[in-house]
Amino acid sequence: MSASARDCWLEQADGQDTLFLAGAWHLPRIARIDAALAAAGIPASALVLDGAALTALDTAAALALLRRIGAAAASVARLENFSVSHLRVIEAVLGRLGDIGVEAARPRHGWLAVLGMHVLDFRGLMLSHLDFLGRSAIALGDAALRPRALRLRELAAQFHHVCVEAIPVVVLVTFLIGVVLAYLFGMQAEKYGANIFVVDGVAIGTTRELSPIIVAIIVAGRSGAAFTAQLGTMVLTEEIDAIRTLGLSPMQVLVIPRLLALVVALPLLVFVGDVSSLAGAMTVANPLLDITPTAFIDRVHWGLQLQHVIVGLTKAAVFAVFIAIIGCRMGMSVSRDSRSIGISTTSTVVQCIVSVILLDAFFAIVFQELGY
Amino acid sequence: MSGAPVIELDAIVTRFGTQTVHDGVSFSLPRGQIAALIGGSGSGKSVLLREIIGLHRPTSGSVRLLGTDVWSAPEEELAVLRRRFGMLFQDGALFSSLTVAQNVATPLIEHARVPAHLLGPLVRLRIALAGLPVEAATKMPSELSGGMRKRAAVARALALEPEVLFLDEPTSGLDPITARAFDRLLRFLCDDLGLTILVVTHDLDTLLGIVDRTIVLADGKVIADGPVKEIMRVDDPWLQSYFRVRTMLEGPEMNRGT
Repeated sequence: MSASARDCWLEQADGQDTLFLAGAWHLPRIARIDAALAAAGIPASALVLDGAALTALDTAAALALLRRIGAAAASVARLENFSVSHLRVIEAVLGRLGDIGVEAARPRHGWLAVLGMHVLDFRGLMLSHLDFLGRSAIALGDAALRPRALRLRELAAQFHHVCVEAIPVVVLVTFLIGVVLAYLFGMQAEKYGANIFVVDGVAIGTTRELSPIIVAIIVAGRSGAAFTAQLGTMVLTEEIDAIRTLGLSPMQVLVIPRLLALVVALPLLVFVGDVSSLAGAMTVANPLLDITPTAFIDRVHWGLQLQHVIVGLTKAAVFAVFIAIIGCRMGMSVSRDSRSIGISTTSTVVQCIVSVILLDAFFAIVFQELGY
Repeated sequence: MSGAPVIELDAIVTRFGTQTVHDGVSFSLPRGQIAALIGGSGSGKSVLLREIIGLHRPTSGSVRLLGTDVWSAPEEELAVLRRRFGMLFQDGALFSSLTVAQNVATPLIEHARVPAHLLGPLVRLRIALAGLPVEAATKMPSELSGGMRKRAAVARALALEPEVLFLDEPTSGLDPITARAFDRLLRFLCDDLGLTILVVTHDLDTLLGIVDRTIVLADGKVIADGPVKEIMRVDDPWLQSYFRVRTMLEGPEMNRGT
């Protein structure tokens, strides 16, 4: 191998080791340079470095050189024939070598510690939700005592977003649920000639259970996530701090309108869902089960007691409180970087859906025991 | 190393709708200098910077950066070019989901084949070169102060050993002490590591302290170009009032000193 193709080589004269460096020592060739240094077999002595044949030297290559010398327990006795700019680069790296030797690692935890931290996080989350619920209740009481504190314009705007704009998707989804339910019930009921009871089944099933749950999940995904993203962005841009500094309460200005809008909107949307799913069932009942629309409506009138609808609407109002509180709280508590908004929004949707389903199970038992 | 200019702008014209921002801007920059681009709000400094680094296409005119025509070169050539310059955005633009060390390592892992045992030390060297303490490496960007965030962004911009560094208002939002330390960092990068630096700034102290050459944009043209001391004597109403603010502030101070 000719000397020009080599990046570095050792020569010994009068017991003095000299490491000659040659060529372009820069980042694109860093792997070759490092391998060449490893192959050069640097002895554990005080080296003279000769940079006469260097055409380029950057900090990455200088670092590779100095670390290889350090790893071989060698030292630099003298620098010879380096250009001024190359000397400056070496000095810049040499001056910082002490700072970069140690790797400051993030602490690692065992699985038990991680489990413990998650349990504590969960406890903290629940406590802070409870705290937020309490503060919302106080703010709500305040608004009730001083109606002027209520932001009517914001309330109307939120109601529009949460309710009016959600109607198409709610109608579509619940209509299809009604179709599917009537179809599935119908296939079974037809075997026993009990066609007409499909109406009872669909009417009770949707108004009491399915419509509230499905609409609540849609709203959790739409509005719960939107609350978190909106409020989270406002935290990021310091708008919430600005509201506080102007002597206004973020609870009154932001949270209460969202909470009230959702508590009113969700039962209304559930009612829309009730009607729409019955319409869906009615559409397939005529061709599939020979139940005419007139007979269908008549049967709904007899078969569906009002209490089922009321139970469904009551549940919806409670779901709304949970979705609004979770959505707003998660938004208000994002930390100030863009990543945490994504994390909080995801968390909001998961928490809302889980809490809606848990609440529904709780209501199923309570209403059963109460005889509704 | 020296010789051909690093940046050459030729008759840059930029229009947004009917509004003309640049009306024939031309200048060239030699290697190894710190140049500052100044001008009033809306004079198109940041837009010009975005045109030089290939983020915004000028209406007409040509930009040559390190010998490559930014707006007509093929994509492969641009990909090579992008590794040869670094850009510091106004707010740092660090990736908020990564630690500082991971931010700095990203371009190294993507574009340079660094031996695994060197990657960690190299990342920490960049962080140290940018003047950050080694503890900052494991922090998230949101855990850093404004000045530290800018230094972390410099460390990332330095990752691939760029020849040119662009900075958009690096000292805005920093306290004077931090800002001057940042200026010294730029001077060190230029003098010791041989970088060519173009900085868009409003900071008079930066201009007077570390800049070799000042280019003044006004009314879509370069109205002055040269060392600050010469620029201060140019007879232009905007420039005169710009420097007068300084004289007003420092006047009494200077009198007391003498």
